[in-house]
Amino acid sequence: MGLFTRRTGERERRDELLSAYLDGQLGTGERARLEAQLATDPALRAELEALRHTVALVRDLPQVPIPCNFILLRTVGVRPRPALSARSRRAWAAPLLTAATAVVSLLFVVVLAGDLLLSGVGGRAFAPAAQPLMETEAPRVALEPSPGSEEVVAQVEVEKVVPAATPLPTVAEVPLEAVASATAEAEHYAVETPEDIVATVPVEGDGLIEEPAAPALTSSPPVAEEAVAAPAAPATPEGVAATMLAGGGGPIEESAALAPSPGPIVGGEAAAAPTALATATVMPERGMGSAEPTPSEVGEAAPRVVGGEEPETAEGGPGAPESEVAELATISPWQAPEVILGLTALGLALATIWAWRVRRQ
Amino acid sequence: MDEAALISAAQQGQVDAFNELVLAYQQQVYNLAYRIMGDPASASDATQEAFISAFQSISRFRGGSFKSYLLRIVSNGCYDELRRRKRRPTTSFEDFGEVDEDANPAMINGHEGPEEYTERQEMAHVVQAGIETLPPDQRITLVLSDVQGLSYQEIAEATDVSLGTVKSRLARARGKLRDYLRSQGELLPARYRLE
Repeated sequence: MGLFTRRTGERERRDELLSAYLDGQLGTGERARLEAQLATDPALRAELEALRHTVALVRDLPQVPIPCNFILLRTVGVRPRPALSARSRRAWAAPLLTAATAVVSLLFVVVLAGDLLLSGVGGRAFAPAAQPLMETEAPRVALEPSPGSEEVVAQVEVEKVVPAATPLPTVAEVPLEAVASATAEAEHYAVETPEDIVATVPVEGDGLIEEPAAPALTSSPPVAEEAVAAPAAPATPEGVAATMLAGGGGPIEESAALAPSPGPIVGGEAAAAPTALATATVMPERGMGSAEPTPSEVGEAAPRVVGGEEPETAEGGPGAPESEVAELATISPWQAPEVILGLTALGLALATIWAWRVRRQ
Repeated sequence: MDEAALISAAQQGQVDAFNELVLAYQQQVYNLAYRIMGDPASASDATQEAFISAFQSISRFRGGSFKSYLLRIVSNGCYDELRRRKRRPTTSFEDFGEVDEDANPAMINGHEGPEEYTERQEMAHVVQAGIETLPPDQRITLVLSDVQGLSYQEIAEATDVSLGTVKSRLARARGKLRDYLRSQGELLPARYRLE
């Protein structure tokens, strides 16, 4: 090993002398000594020739043509080291996105846990806690008029088409001009079709309206022929009337809590005038419920929309089941933040993966 | 406009003046990068980066050889890239492809026939492969000296080392390349083989 190292060292010193000699970089004394050795040492001479040949080959390498011009754009002066800055941004992106993903995911978990706790998964222990929310939410959703509906209501009131406590009028009792005017107004703001705007109010035996459920007009059984509808009196502060359609003895009662609905209501169909009211409730009524609630009952009931005891479907008929109704009512306030946070966390996670992959490259 | 005036204008921020210098030196800069890096793509990247860097730092150029200034920048860039590849090897040199020299009539000397041209290309492949076996510092020194024709002093300035270091690196590089060419003798055309 020592001999090999020594020989390697000697060889390197010899090559250094020969290389410098080829380039004319030796001093006068060194060059004279080397030339004397070369004259007497054929092996050293052969090494010198091999080295000279090697240098000649390198110098004989052909020029490689340029693939393109490398002129700079005029913007290079205001764009310092673009590649480096881009790489630097990518380097920061990965940890930043990781932290953001962690924070959003944590937030998502917290909101989800809060939702599960408050909504009482596996039991209804917290169900009452959700009721006040419904009390405030339901009337707003069900009865809040659209910009168009307020005008319609005002017009109906001025013309006194239907006094507040009068018996429910028939379609024929509604003045045609009021109908036309309100319809035109409503169509101008056309938010929903008449069929979509029916808000129904479940009827309990005592006339109180239960918590809202999904509308199920199309799936509900036929409503009694004598069902009444009215562009009812303004029973809410907004002047929104509640119209109740009561199925005579049927398992499902449909009630339409409508904004001023001067539109025609034909027979048992819960068709209403085009208003911008949100669809409210279809609730199964208990068997002993009043088949034909009076207008006064409707007037009292409509604005209260207070959840009493939870209704049960008498015959399992169509319409939203009770459990679904309760679930929807309790989960809905949490759904928006949950969905937003969940999607944000997912998007951030994907971006984080991408950022780390780019950084590793 | 002479080189000094172009440099002065470039120092005032005139990109057009600097581009005149680019056109004058891009062949040498690219050739140096190609011989050090061994593939066209890396050589193009190194050349472009070198010109951008040269323009951005031209205010610090205090006279002397502008060619040495450029070659210093590009050789430093190539050295950094080779060191980076050594730390984090991702792609072998073979994956970059090579210059299709048959498709480059500019590489054909006017006085050599097709057979001589082909043999020279074969020799160039073997020598280039030998250069790429050298460590980065020796490789750069060899190319600066024997491809670009820089003096020891210019190499010392370009690579920020002493004259003695240049002499030593160059001797080692030449010795290793000689040994490589001897070992690959059968790949070289007969007239290029070492004895």
